Amino acid sequence: MSRRRTAALPTPVALLFLLPAAVLFGVFVLYPMATALTYSLFSWRGTAQEAFVGLDNFVALFTTEPYRTELPRAFGHNALLFAGAMAAQNSVGLLLAVLLHQRERFRRLFQVLFTMPYLVSPLVVGYLWSLLLSPLFGPVNALLRAVGLDAVAQPWLGDPDTALWVVVLVTAWQWVGFPLLVYGAALGALDPSTQEAAMLDGAGAAQRFRHVTLPLLTPVIGTVSVLTFIFSMEAFPIPYALGGSSGSPAGATDVMSLLFYRTAFHSGASNAIGVSSAVAIVLFLVIVGVSVAFTRWFRGVERRLT
Amino acid sequence: MSGTTRRGGAVRRAGVHVVLWGYAAVALLPLLVMVWNSFRTDQELVSEPLGLPVAPSFDAYREAWVEASFSTYFLNSVLVTTASVLLSTAVSLLAAYALARSRSRLMTVIEQVFVSGLMMPVFLMIVPIFYLLDMIGLASTRTGLILVYAAVSIPFSVFVLATFLRQLPDELEDAARIDGAGPLRTFWSVLLPLVRPAVATVVVFRFVPIWNDFFYPLILVRDRERYTLPVGLTTFFGEYQTSWSTLFAGLVIATLPLVVLFLVATRQIVAGLTAGMGR
Amino acid sequence: MSRRITRATASAALVVLTLGACAPSADSPEPGAAAGEGCDGDAVALDVWSWRTEDVKTYERIFDVFEEANPCITVGFQAHLNTEYDQILRTGLTGSDGPDIAQVRSYGLLQPLVEGGNLEPLDDVVPELAEFDDAALDGARGREDGSVYGVPLATQTIQVWYNTAIFEENGLSEPETWEDFVALNDTLLEAGVTPLAVGARDGWFVPTVHDALTAARYGGADFQQALRDGETDFTDPAYVASIQTLKDLQEYMPDDVTGVAYTDAQVLFTSGQAAMFPGGSYEQAFFQDANPDLELGVFQVPPPPGSAVDHPVTPGYADGNWGLSAATQHPDEARTLLSWLASPEFGQLVADELKQFSPVPGVEYADPLQQEMWDLYQESPAPYLLLVDYRYGDPTGTDLMGQAGQKLFLGDTDAAGAADIVQEGLSAWWTPGE
Repeated sequence: MSRRRTAALPTPVALLFLLPAAVLFGVFVLYPMATALTYSLFSWRGTAQEAFVGLDNFVALFTTEPYRTELPRAFGHNALLFAGAMAAQNSVGLLLAVLLHQRERFRRLFQVLFTMPYLVSPLVVGYLWSLLLSPLFGPVNALLRAVGLDAVAQPWLGDPDTALWVVVLVTAWQWVGFPLLVYGAALGALDPSTQEAAMLDGAGAAQRFRHVTLPLLTPVIGTVSVLTFIFSMEAFPIPYALGGSSGSPAGATDVMSLLFYRTAFHSGASNAIGVSSAVAIVLFLVIVGVSVAFTRWFRGVERRLT
Repeated sequence: MSGTTRRGGAVRRAGVHVVLWGYAAVALLPLLVMVWNSFRTDQELVSEPLGLPVAPSFDAYREAWVEASFSTYFLNSVLVTTASVLLSTAVSLLAAYALARSRSRLMTVIEQVFVSGLMMPVFLMIVPIFYLLDMIGLASTRTGLILVYAAVSIPFSVFVLATFLRQLPDELEDAARIDGAGPLRTFWSVLLPLVRPAVATVVVFRFVPIWNDFFYPLILVRDRERYTLPVGLTTFFGEYQTSWSTLFAGLVIATLPLVVLFLVATRQIVAGLTAGMGR
Repeated sequence: MSRRITRATASAALVVLTLGACAPSADSPEPGAAAGEGCDGDAVALDVWSWRTEDVKTYERIFDVFEEANPCITVGFQAHLNTEYDQILRTGLTGSDGPDIAQVRSYGLLQPLVEGGNLEPLDDVVPELAEFDDAALDGARGREDGSVYGVPLATQTIQVWYNTAIFEENGLSEPETWEDFVALNDTLLEAGVTPLAVGARDGWFVPTVHDALTAARYGGADFQQALRDGETDFTDPAYVASIQTLKDLQEYMPDDVTGVAYTDAQVLFTSGQAAMFPGGSYEQAFFQDANPDLELGVFQVPPPPGSAVDHPVTPGYADGNWGLSAATQHPDEARTLLSWLASPEFGQLVADELKQFSPVPGVEYADPLQQEMWDLYQESPAPYLLLVDYRYGDPTGTDLMGQAGQKLFLGDTDAAGAADIVQEGLSAWWTPGE
């Protein structure tokens, strides 16, 4: 998509407009970011910065235990969180948005209801869900047993095979309002005449969605996907509340931010700041790298579709 | 139309109903647990974590409001959240205008730097941010907190606002320029009225996380007089004991303003997203 | 036109709000500056930090006692969220605006602050420390120089709590032998009561349960010494057998124990659905608050067959210390307060008001249950092994046992495999005998 030729602002004037944001961003985001980067290049004795060690902390991450094992495992779990969010949160969000788009009545009511979990502090989301899913008192299992689905009742958070998916679903529960609103808005912006044209051609609802609506939504899907990726890689409050700092059970819900937390604050290791900063920098680089690559690739897909 | 399709349509509509109301229940159930548990005592909560309030008790609300100096925290939260969202939205608007209306290569680079801020894990930056505030004498102040929140909001705000501004036709600006208006004047009187929906979007999507955030003030603020609501809430979490009913009561108090804000703003948000994300 | 006015008003409001936000921050008041009656001259305000948010009111009462005796010192006590405390403390001790005295973690987790030079050694500053028990001081020592960097705050002991009413209903009494213990578990199981309230979903709770039930099996302090001397490691048959014993007791725990949260286990016990709770002395206040009618008893688990020691043991550990910030502006006043924190007066307040065990010598416990636990610990102490000696590196022993124990309960590994997980994990930074 080529950028529209706009009334160009002279560069000096543009820079003037940029100045307040740039100063604020530079001082309170870029400068701390750069400082944090230097943390990872030094060795530390407790809270005292010692010698410059170049990339040694990064080398240690990839060659010594426990990081050599835990880093790829945590990254794998973050990747699954992303895949799960795409499958659960974004597809449900899209489905609900489409359903709501087709009806006027109660649309705003439903939008608000579905978005309510987003307004609740992440402090208690994990607690509420671990209560609901408790194998002892939880109503979820009680409900499943009541309708004869005993086989489906699980120790949800106690089983390594299901625990991570519970994290995915709880995250989706809290965040589904985001794709819902974004897709809802995008659907609202679509030109109704294309739909009508397709309808006159005799296309069914499913066909219209597949061949008319979906391609028009592609750019929005791309934006939502990138943001979902970033959120999934940085997930912390919900995994922490549901699995503790070590990613219970048996590391099945361990993610990058938990690895950082443990390394930085939960060990008596001398070089904790150096190694934990390296963990965070690696995470940052992966997020930037994948986001940029994904955006490039997606622009290509978009061009082919339109 | 034949009878079968009409019946099929009715079944389909019923199905849609079930899906929508069913999901609404899933979305609301845990919140109801929170609300009704706030009317129970800690003892009831422990003996039966999910029971109904037998004799509703408002003790938790009284305790949350009085003991936890919620009135102070509430005012701090309002002040910090409002000021930081306004500040970040104002500077982001200016920056987004510059990015959207300039064709310089430099601007593309600057925009990417801004957006990279979205990808920075906050837990990595927090310690350097503390030392920075400490150095310039803003540690433990609301001003420091406002500036930090405003700065970390810039990536998202610029991202959304710039996308939106690029959608706007430039004829109006051309007209203003021909009338002899300078860039600031054009921005102020021509563009600003048009970007209202996008501004509503940015305001709400930044307001909610800042209002709920406890991490920054927990690390950056030492003076209890300057705590925000969520930090006040963390004092109900003990190492060995957590006062759940007070916590839930505090959370209900903390969440209500958001619900109101959200109810008021959804129309604007959806309009803002329509234009901002629809490209 | 009117729209423009609205907008101008809005922007003015923005400016006012921003300025309003700046204004009050200029005059940050010294906490406690107004207090200090009865003091000639200016009172010095000391900042004291803690992670015990639940104890704030009690500590304020406790420090009132100190302030009365020392009118020229006021104490500002502030508690921060436990889970983020270490991060807050790190910035507090290395930046300005930090505490003069802070609660600091014990054993391994204390070391980063010691190594960074953020804490003052107290051997010469607080002479009262000479009277303290070595086991308590070990939690406050710098690993490299052996100096003491904190006044021990509290000691926790680990034993089995039981519901005396349930025991009476089923004609049970405290077990004298391992056979008694197993038999009473069987009786309870048949009576439809969950014998052991255990939740293994929270990894940190697993090593506590393991030591509460089986510390005698591997030998407690003797095994600790053997590890320190390099004579054995965690694959030792005695240690493996202790893990096997834990596995054997799983039938007396709730089903799907890895899905049961620590708080769920507390609920099981306080609501009378389970008869016993293997856990720390710190549970007492919660148990009594949650269910004032609950009649509590405690016992040590008798040694299982083949145990390395012939008597039951009570594992214990030092739970936190009072450290002196190297950056304090008021070292003399801080020392006065630290000496008081090491005094029998404060120790007795810890016992009476906080219901915790004070490591200060000579403290007595009015609560018979507390006195009983303390006596048991004094008679046959053992270290809470993985917390005491194995948190000096990454990964920590307690985290490893949490994961290994969860795998064990899930059936993903056996006792030997669980011991291997602990040993291999620790070998990243620990060699037996060092």
